[in-house]
Amino acid sequence: MMATTTASSWSQKHAAFTLSPSQFLSSTTSECFLAELLHDLRDDRASESTKILLLSLLQEYPNVLCPGTMAGEETALELLSIFNQAPPRFISLKCHLMLAITNILVCTSCVDRQVNVAEMFLDLLFQTVQDTNDHKDGQAFRSLRAVACDCLREVETCFPGLLSQKLEALYLLKQQETTPLHQAYCVLYTLGLKNAIHHLSRGNGVADGELKSVLAGNEGFAWKAIEKPLPPFPVSSLGQIPMLQTCTESKELKSIVSLLLEESYLLTPVFQAVLLRELVEVVAMVQALSPAIFKSQLLRLFGTAEITLLHATLLMKATFTDSLFTTEDENFFIKRLVGMAQHPLLSNTQKLFYMDCILHFPENRPISSNGEESLPVLVTPRLAASLLPTVFNDSSTMLCRLSLLSLVYMEADEDDDKGVSYLFNHLMALHRIVDNHGTREMTVTFFRAVFTFLSYFYYSEKFTSDLTARLCELYSRHYYLAPNLINLIDRAQECLGDSEWPIQLLKALQKQIVELPHPQLTLQSLSWHLKILGRVAREGQVPQRNSLCFLLSVLINSSLCAAGGWRLGNAVLAVCRNLLLHPSLDQVFIELADLLQHIMHHYNDTDIQDHARFYYTLLTNLSREKLSGVLAKGPDVGPAKVRSLSSIMAESDGLSSCLTIHQTKQPVLQLVKVQDSGAWEALGKGASDSIEEKEVLTIYREQFLSPGFASEVLLKCHLMHVGEVEALYHKLFSIRLHFDLTDSNYEEVQDVTVPCLKDRKPPVIHLKLKPRQPYPTRLHASAMFTTEDGLSWYSQLEDVSVSFPDIFLPLPVKTDWSQENREQLFDHIWRCTCSEESSQSTTSLFCFELGDRCLCDLVESNFHPYLISKDLKQESYKVLFFLPPQCHVLLNIANAEDAVRVSIVTDNWKLLPYINSYLKNVTSKV
Amino acid sequence: MSIRALWIITHEKGQSGTVRFSKRYPTVERRAKSLAGAQYVAVPEDCEILHPLLTELGLTDPDKPFLVSRDDCARPQRSPALELRLEGRAGGALWPVLALVQGGLILACLPLVEAPPEPRPPLPGLASVSQALSLLAGVQGFLCGPGGGRLEGEALASRLAPLPSVLLQVCPLGTPLDSPPQAGAQPAPAAHSPAGAQKQPAWKAGLYRGRAAVTVALSEMARSTQYGRRSRQDLWDVHGSVSCKCEVEGVLPNVTVTLSLPPNGSPLQDILVHPCVTSLDASLLAASSVDDSDGSAFSGPYKFPFSPPLEQFRLCSYTSQVPVPPILGSYQLKEEEEPHLRVSVTLKLHESVRNSFEYCEAHLPFFNRGQLGNVDVKVSSGQLEVSKEKSLLVWVLGQKFPKSREASLGGTVGFSGQLSGPADPLCTGLTAYIKLYFRVPDMTLSGCSVDQHSVQIYSTAKPRITTSRELVSAEYYIWNSTGDAPVSSGLLML
Repeated sequence: MMATTTASSWSQKHAAFTLSPSQFLSSTTSECFLAELLHDLRDDRASESTKILLLSLLQEYPNVLCPGTMAGEETALELLSIFNQAPPRFISLKCHLMLAITNILVCTSCVDRQVNVAEMFLDLLFQTVQDTNDHKDGQAFRSLRAVACDCLREVETCFPGLLSQKLEALYLLKQQETTPLHQAYCVLYTLGLKNAIHHLSRGNGVADGELKSVLAGNEGFAWKAIEKPLPPFPVSSLGQIPMLQTCTESKELKSIVSLLLEESYLLTPVFQAVLLRELVEVVAMVQALSPAIFKSQLLRLFGTAEITLLHATLLMKATFTDSLFTTEDENFFIKRLVGMAQHPLLSNTQKLFYMDCILHFPENRPISSNGEESLPVLVTPRLAASLLPTVFNDSSTMLCRLSLLSLVYMEADEDDDKGVSYLFNHLMALHRIVDNHGTREMTVTFFRAVFTFLSYFYYSEKFTSDLTARLCELYSRHYYLAPNLINLIDRAQECLGDSEWPIQLLKALQKQIVELPHPQLTLQSLSWHLKILGRVAREGQVPQRNSLCFLLSVLINSSLCAAGGWRLGNAVLAVCRNLLLHPSLDQVFIELADLLQHIMHHYNDTDIQDHARFYYTLLTNLSREKLSGVLAKGPDVGPAKVRSLSSIMAESDGLSSCLTIHQTKQPVLQLVKVQDSGAWEALGKGASDSIEEKEVLTIYREQFLSPGFASEVLLKCHLMHVGEVEALYHKLFSIRLHFDLTDSNYEEVQDVTVPCLKDRKPPVIHLKLKPRQPYPTRLHASAMFTTEDGLSWYSQLEDVSVSFPDIFLPLPVKTDWSQENREQLFDHIWRCTCSEESSQSTTSLFCFELGDRCLCDLVESNFHPYLISKDLKQESYKVLFFLPPQCHVLLNIANAEDAVRVSIVTDNWKLLPYINSYLKNVTSKV
Repeated sequence: MSIRALWIITHEKGQSGTVRFSKRYPTVERRAKSLAGAQYVAVPEDCEILHPLLTELGLTDPDKPFLVSRDDCARPQRSPALELRLEGRAGGALWPVLALVQGGLILACLPLVEAPPEPRPPLPGLASVSQALSLLAGVQGFLCGPGGGRLEGEALASRLAPLPSVLLQVCPLGTPLDSPPQAGAQPAPAAHSPAGAQKQPAWKAGLYRGRAAVTVALSEMARSTQYGRRSRQDLWDVHGSVSCKCEVEGVLPNVTVTLSLPPNGSPLQDILVHPCVTSLDASLLAASSVDDSDGSAFSGPYKFPFSPPLEQFRLCSYTSQVPVPPILGSYQLKEEEEPHLRVSVTLKLHESVRNSFEYCEAHLPFFNRGQLGNVDVKVSSGQLEVSKEKSLLVWVLGQKFPKSREASLGGTVGFSGQLSGPADPLCTGLTAYIKLYFRVPDMTLSGCSVDQHSVQIYSTAKPRITTSRELVSAEYYIWNSTGDAPVSSGLLML
């Protein structure tokens, strides 16, 4: 039935799948692809490396390939059986199988629900790790043992407490193991210990006896422990650390922790860091354990070059502060961090991280006790001087240093401004680079540096006025920096609160531009100047007469009107549009009118002339209030998302609010499937003459010759509000629903229009679906509508899910067909499908236990529209589902003694998984 | 302390980038989902990560001079963690993405945030961050080796092929257990050694059998920025690293290497050691370059007891403030009638430096002036090479300075007037530098040395010990004293 796919085609499929699983699966389904995967995994002809490639998909995308617990369970069972049957020489394959099973069981909630296969698998993992020192299985299996250890570690991490009854056993294993693999046992034990203590600490009262029994535990997996998941361990200063109260000094625990610390040297650095962190949490939780237990490790850790170990030390500092670190230690530590943040042998990324560590250094005596972030007191200008930025730093380093030192100088509040002056001079050095045609990266870095500097020192006039002058100077030589400057001004206005600086800069730029001698202007430079003037025109505080006079003068005296083109004309109009909203419009009314008139009559582009005329009309006929109403920007929407279908201008600056389509912040509408009440018409009583039996199939098949016959499924949904919506949305009009497909199994779905939606009876929508393949799917739904105030809106809806039974249609024959004919047709189709050697047909069997239910009721309530015949005496039923475009699923239900047997015949084998899960669904007892 | 996903992307200028490798850790993702709650943003598909990542790195749309999404001044990249704004229906921001960029190769990784997502926790509070940085550095070392350099095409493909099986060993389920082996390092022994009575370190894949041999190589790098002006102080320092290769039998053999300084030698500072070092004296760590000079500083001997791994490793590194620069230089440029420059350079070798180089060269680049034209320059020692297209003079001093330990260069250079030549936004007008490249075997500037006899190994047979040392130039610049030179260190301000 299915051809074995070759290795190279699998590697192509693997590449296509990993690039975009959703795209890959749009031409098939996850069930089909999974079935293919599993089939080839079982195939002896496939090579080990191909199988490993297949398993990597299951390892990395378990939720995509196994969308539910059931699928996960079944797949895990399959993989487990492949694992058990694989010959011992395929160690690599077994490792990958183990990883795949772990990922599937954890991610499809099989472990959560304590599914049987999860229990079996965990037992297998534990059994594997018990072979310490390769005694039983030999060295060849060490890599499998390593994988098993890591799987257990990950499962314990995801379900803390699962190992809490096995601590003694794990401890013995750790003691016994002497190969390099012992680090896995070390960490496994420590993790289990920490989680067990965490669990205990959440109980009330003293826990002496409990702790002892936990340490001595050698039982099964603690499934009960994971029923109520632990909250995550609070990160150092945030949140309360749960404490375990014990009366006696836990000598045993102390010696365990000491031994682990002694052996920590034998672990790889990254794993040492993991171990240390777990031990820090253990010691933090157990009052009887003093943090001084870590003192022996401190020197070694302080001197380390390893980033993970240094970070672990920092976390230790944050957790224990002065219980473990003296003031000298602290001073030493911060100095060391400063040294490492500029060490010539460390990578840039490491150094950036260390700078972040300096900024957030956990002090023994922090100045602010309310948890607010502030610069550590220890970071003085003197200490940080070696981290001052220079032009030789790369962008990230430089910006990071600038930020840090700005904060340092701001906090220090020096009298002589020496530090801030240095930073300013540094900005000027960058300015010089940009002035000398630095790269785009340097230019962007410069503006970022300016913004950073401003955000700390915007109140300092000495620097800001200098900065304004230098930026104007820069602009005068490099007009193409207009967008950067505008961006700087925008952000400065947003973030620097009450600062006057952005306005000052705009005024200075305006002055600079309007004073430019006309012969110097080119069409190219004019486009930049217009951008700036447009931005200036948005500022209520800046007088605009100069801009207008300049523009008029340019239009009259230069070639702008003749040769400017649509783009430049648009830019001029953008300035005008902003001016129409300016508070000082009255003062420049005449100038603006003159300008618009000139454009109207002389600009060499009809579109521009028309728009100028429109603005002129608005200006001369509307009052100020009306004008601002018409032209005001709509509610704050992201520039990329506004669907400006009906905007005046192509540029997205300031659109007419009533002509803009706004977007709702939250979904406002939803489509809810209508539950059929079950009132179905009775089966046809055959008014017409019976058809000859041998004609039945032919006549039936002939129907399909007419195009579009039985090709549509109608999905009925209520259109409703989503819970409580704002009053604005209570009444909606001219609603147009649009549907986007998520795969290629259906034809495009037509938009649906609903005239209005009020709070009363929700209207029923009929969605016409035309399947190409009868698979379940999801439709992305969105709506456009008008609210009572005349504004147009766009809103996304929750996806509409089309499930497998939604696609069922009853047998597509004329309603007047007799009962007899229908049954004959059923039998014909059954026989044909069974006997045909068609590669698409298949038969199957599904059984279920009836329990104390009545089969007749079950069948009637679920299958009534599709029931072809029923024999109450024999308790057998024939059901036919028709799925467009032309698929049939026939069921022959018979009640045997022990169970109900449902024989399934279908002419599309790919539907089997869906049929199975559908039947499981409707026949499950709960 | 886990990662959610890892990507390796190649990017050619002007192109859209390709994901060459990706690895996801679904169990970690599940934890991410439960930790983040309503703020959870899923790891996007490979095709959806490219554009946001390249935008944050400033690598998209090279033909557009300004794009808000890429160049916004309020979004400075000032921490190693990037925030990727995802496109598409789901949207959302992915944070903290860590990325290493080396030429056309981008390695990116998303660590798990084990804390409530709001307010955004500071990076140092997240244990996964250092794990992720370490893994990225390890993968970079596995692909490119310690030297760095551009890796592309066939070479990259052949390094990527074994990566899945390497990740299976070092990071099977998202928590790194070890670092990937570095490219060019000796391959690990094929067979595991059988279990013995003593616990084997996890960072030593097997056991060595054979004659004991230890190689200790000390390499000191000298940096300098010399301005030649009274108003500004010249700067220089050295940093050194000690590299070892130990072939010693035993599960955890003990070796001690001792560094010594001559009397009055400037103390070694900022000492960083390899994790295999078993213990450290507190006095070794006290000296820091960040401190003001401490007269009572410890100045040796510096003992490093350790149990070595099998491969070559860096035992320790240090910095040192030596009293004099190895080569003191002065550089003067004078503008003569356009387009000529009068050039004058003097280099003095300090008496403490052995006058025996493997190589010693001075590079004089001329930026923003077009190509070199007529060059009329003489040198008192060595040879002069002229590269007209690169506008570069290379003064090859050879193996020795003259007996006087002083060498000079003088003359005029003209420019052909052709506009195409190397450009540099920093070096305009009279801002110009000379860069020195030199290597002196068998010496260090700090005087630090490893004595053969100071290397102790507790082994039965007599071990073969080889030690070596060298002094190499790192960033060694001499600026033209008649022009403005950019500030290279904030310490000048003090």
